[in-house]
Amino acid sequence: MKMVDETLDARELMCPMPMVKLTKAMRRRVPGQELEMLSDDPGSVEDVPAWSSGTGNELIGTATDDEGYHFIIRKGE
Amino acid sequence: MVRQDKGAIVVAEGSYDKAMASLFLATTAAGLGMEAHVFCTFFGLNLLKRKARPKLPGMYRLFTGMFEKKMKRLAGVEGFQEIMETAKDLGVRFYACSTSMAALGMKKDQLVDGIEVLGASKFLDIAADSRVQLFIG
Repeated sequence: MKMVDETLDARELMCPMPMVKLTKAMRRRVPGQELEMLSDDPGSVEDVPAWSSGTGNELIGTATDDEGYHFIIRKGE
Repeated sequence: MVRQDKGAIVVAEGSYDKAMASLFLATTAAGLGMEAHVFCTFFGLNLLKRKARPKLPGMYRLFTGMFEKKMKRLAGVEGFQEIMETAKDLGVRFYACSTSMAALGMKKDQLVDGIEVLGASKFLDIAADSRVQLFIG
């Protein structure tokens, strides 16, 4: 089963646009669904965890590579 | 647990920088699950006019278009009208200061739809109940 069914490519965007895109993308999902977000804005490193904990979504993984910062977020109940 | 905080923002200037700073914060707050309330007073009221297109302050106003393009290119930031639409879509509430409307000779039908005209007391009532209060001016 494919856990992450969509990647939100938020590269070349800077605050607040990645978070606006993430908010909109998560509204379209059902609880338990996961989304991968890719960003190259250094602000996202702190923004995504803050957003996740504030909105009841779960940040289940982060990684950094040549593409940028990867976040895997699971939609909360 | 989902956050249920409120944020109250006052915008007292109508220039592009003040407009965008307040819209970014309000939009982000709404995205964070907060109730976001934006009270526009004095020249901040101009932001609520239909087809508003705020300019940079002073002589920089001449370079507003160039600056907007730079924001779009470097940060993917949308224009004022697009951000305003996003804010409303995310549930940000906008208020027009009743006294400023009278002072600037503005009528409610000149404002975009969905704006509530308020006095300071009602807004302070909202602000008193908010964990975040910001003044942009």
